[in-house]
Amino acid sequence: MSVSRRNLFSKFLRPLQAGSKKAASTVGRAAAAGGSGESSPMERTNQVAVIQGRFCLAYQGSFCSVCYERCPVPNAIQLNEGVPRIVLEICTGCGVCHDVCPAPENAILVTERRPGFGA
Amino acid sequence: MNTNTVTASSVPAVSGLDRRRFLKHAALASAAAVAATRSGLTPPAQAVETDTRWDKAPCRFCGTGCHVEVGVRDGKIVGIRGDAKAEVNKGLLCVKGYHVGMILYGKDRLTQPMLRRNGRMEVITWDEAIDVVARRILAAPERFAVYGSGQWTVAEGYASQKLMKAGLANNHIEPNARLCMASAVTGYLSVYGVDEPAGCYDDLDTCDVLILWGNNMAEMHPVLFSRILERRNRGEKIRIIDFSTRRTRTSEFADDYLEFRPQSDLAIANGIAHLLIRSGTYSKEFVEKHCAFKTDTAEHTLDGRPISFADYCRELEAYTPEKVEEISGVPAEKIRMLGELFGRKDVRITSVWCMGMNQHARGTNINRLVHGIHLLSGHWGRPGDAPTSLTGQPSACGTAREVGTLCHLLPGGRVVANPEHRKQSEAIWNLPEGRLNPKPGYHTVQLFEKFCTATDKGGDIQTLFTQVTNPGQSLPNLHKLFKSKQGLEDKFLIVCDVYPTATTELADLILPAAMWVEKNGIYGNSERRTQQWFRMVRPPGNARDDCWMTIAIARRLFELGHPGMKDKEGKFLFTFKNEKGEEVPVWEWERYYDVNVDRALFEEYRLFTRLKHKDLAPYDEYVKARGLRWPVVQQADGSWRETKFRFMEFDDPYVKKGAGIQFYHSVTKDDRAQVWFAPYELPPEVPDAEYPFWLGTGRVLEHWHTGTMTMRVPQLRNAVPHSYVEMHPSDAAEKGFKNGDLVKLKTRRGELELPLWISGRGHPPRGSVFVPFFDERIMINDLTLDAVCPVSKEPDYKKCAVDVQRGSQRSARPPGPTI
Repeated sequence: MSVSRRNLFSKFLRPLQAGSKKAASTVGRAAAAGGSGESSPMERTNQVAVIQGRFCLAYQGSFCSVCYERCPVPNAIQLNEGVPRIVLEICTGCGVCHDVCPAPENAILVTERRPGFGA
Repeated sequence: MNTNTVTASSVPAVSGLDRRRFLKHAALASAAAVAATRSGLTPPAQAVETDTRWDKAPCRFCGTGCHVEVGVRDGKIVGIRGDAKAEVNKGLLCVKGYHVGMILYGKDRLTQPMLRRNGRMEVITWDEAIDVVARRILAAPERFAVYGSGQWTVAEGYASQKLMKAGLANNHIEPNARLCMASAVTGYLSVYGVDEPAGCYDDLDTCDVLILWGNNMAEMHPVLFSRILERRNRGEKIRIIDFSTRRTRTSEFADDYLEFRPQSDLAIANGIAHLLIRSGTYSKEFVEKHCAFKTDTAEHTLDGRPISFADYCRELEAYTPEKVEEISGVPAEKIRMLGELFGRKDVRITSVWCMGMNQHARGTNINRLVHGIHLLSGHWGRPGDAPTSLTGQPSACGTAREVGTLCHLLPGGRVVANPEHRKQSEAIWNLPEGRLNPKPGYHTVQLFEKFCTATDKGGDIQTLFTQVTNPGQSLPNLHKLFKSKQGLEDKFLIVCDVYPTATTELADLILPAAMWVEKNGIYGNSERRTQQWFRMVRPPGNARDDCWMTIAIARRLFELGHPGMKDKEGKFLFTFKNEKGEEVPVWEWERYYDVNVDRALFEEYRLFTRLKHKDLAPYDEYVKARGLRWPVVQQADGSWRETKFRFMEFDDPYVKKGAGIQFYHSVTKDDRAQVWFAPYELPPEVPDAEYPFWLGTGRVLEHWHTGTMTMRVPQLRNAVPHSYVEMHPSDAAEKGFKNGDLVKLKTRRGELELPLWISGRGHPPRGSVFVPFFDERIMINDLTLDAVCPVSKEPDYKKCAVDVQRGSQRSARPPGPTI
């Protein structure tokens, strides 16, 4: 994919996330990694995102695909019959999915990459 | 665990502790319980807040009518959970529903009445505000209009209806439901002689085939769609056929995705009927017993013209599968597949639709045709065999359609033009004979045209009062129908709302309103289900109930001597008594809750509901229930029984014994439904060299309508922070556009710039773009067409011609106010 999904929303996302340290750091890192944030793939970090099924709306039978749609890394989140799955080997740990998760309790845990967890 | 959520600190009205509990113990506790139940596990013990009081309410958003439980502590909502006792949603909610409690707590709630003086909004008292409104009305009662909503509660709509039609003898009252459900109404009326679906959601539980006619159910009615997919999870077979003009989230779950060119659904429906006739697989028995035939005419009237079955067949001859393919782009073999499917007696077929068929330049006709193929094939009258429209607003049915807050209606399915109906209404309202005005008022598009035209040029609506809606964003062709109000000095716009909106921008008077569980209410959902709730928290500042405003205005008019505010005995139209029989001056805000005004107005309104067999139970029955579907009929033992399936003897008590199926409101007075023929006709605007693309508009899952509520919920706003345009990747490549590029859309009515989202959630075909309408900074309705269906007067938001060019690079921020 020559175009990045991050590109679409990042310009608008920034002012909306002013209240969040986590989000600010994510966007800041994106800018550092890709200059203006243009379509370069994101750097792999020592973190990885994990979906906590008990909090994820899609896992509960409700519809939600925001993490899949907004993930800037091609194929890192896949959708199977409407349910998202993170491919740990591809996930760079950027945390965008955590930032945008609309579940009442955030369903995305960004955790350390370790054996069995994308390392 | 990482609890550093994006939004934890961004809701000022809820403390950190409240917020954590809100998240932790409420919404997801319920979601998890549902999941556990489904997988056969015991639900986890729910954390019960001993000091939190839980009560039921229908969700504030769409027309599905899910019930939520609202947790309140210290005067604030601290939790929302899906109501497991509710048949509609059985404990599940959608992403909006889980956050519905947060819509009360946006930091910019309107809390004071404000009047525009010398161009600036100044805070005034309620007494002044009510007086201003009353005097504007009194100066020219016939030039006053009310524009309300399918989000009005039943009592709010009923009070407005009474003030306008009974009090002012003025029929210029419309709901935004004109923009949303009017074509479904004219469809039902011209087919069955009475509005609203015969079936209900139970059909979704038993059908073998579900046909979605331009209906993105996964995003627009997600809980209903979950209910269907849940059947698949249980191992049941259900075939989903998705007719659409673009691929959506719903298409991913469809067995057949059939993409048609805008407007050509008319040809497809005719193609199915053609095949049923040609192959002789239509239901001869059903047609002979229950059907008569009609055709649309050049004048496009509600009544059309009766034709014989032979004439009907002749009209359909041209719609061969090949011809339909040529018009619609759907392969002839698929049309044959549908023809065969409808010809089978061993499957049960349910059709559902919403805005795709209603916001349609021939909305009434496509509604008629879809009913027609169900009637013709006999896929009608058994659970699972039903044509059913869905609504987009929580009380489009309950308030707009049933209370009849449209310019030509009186309550309970009556019309102003019918002398008998006026007489009945005058009797119930205790009015002097001849009070009611027989001439229909202006329909919505006309109303705003008149309001936005200078008075000396024929614009004879001078004062417009809006409640619970945001026409400044949701009307089509906004430059013409809304923005041109600016500069017309003698026009006066009164807006009752909860937040600043595109409509309050041009308001001359703003009245701050209570919302949802800040007031008592009754809604009626898509499946004829009437739902009640009580006030649970107080509105902020000086915000007050919409219904109170209407009564207070009426009272001020009464004091100023308007004769219409009295019934024929000289009593004020809104007179309420307490249990001791004493009159309570509810127009004084401090006394408004001394009686339950909702109950009193509902009991009065109930008297209207019998004529069309839409019987409602007493108010107190709804207090106990999670909604009841009308007609609700009292049994011999005194209990009240709801009706799931109308016109069907096995369930509807109004069907004659032995009739099986009886259309007892038949327009031909012979218990028959009308099967209509209507031709495929070109839409009013089609792409050409100058404007080469189709433009369609709609909603997204996370935002509701104009986003005034959902854009103030941090999680929802974060999930979809702004509007965008969807385009086919090949079209984008041809233009040299990349994902995220700013592009400029231009129609004959306006232009705007917005970011491009390729291969995002929706996938329009080549030559077509789609834009959601929730974002007040990107007002797509500046561009849409104000052409209406000639019968329903509902505008077509789904198709017009647009040009797409590269946007200017100066800014990636959309212009306009920030929220």
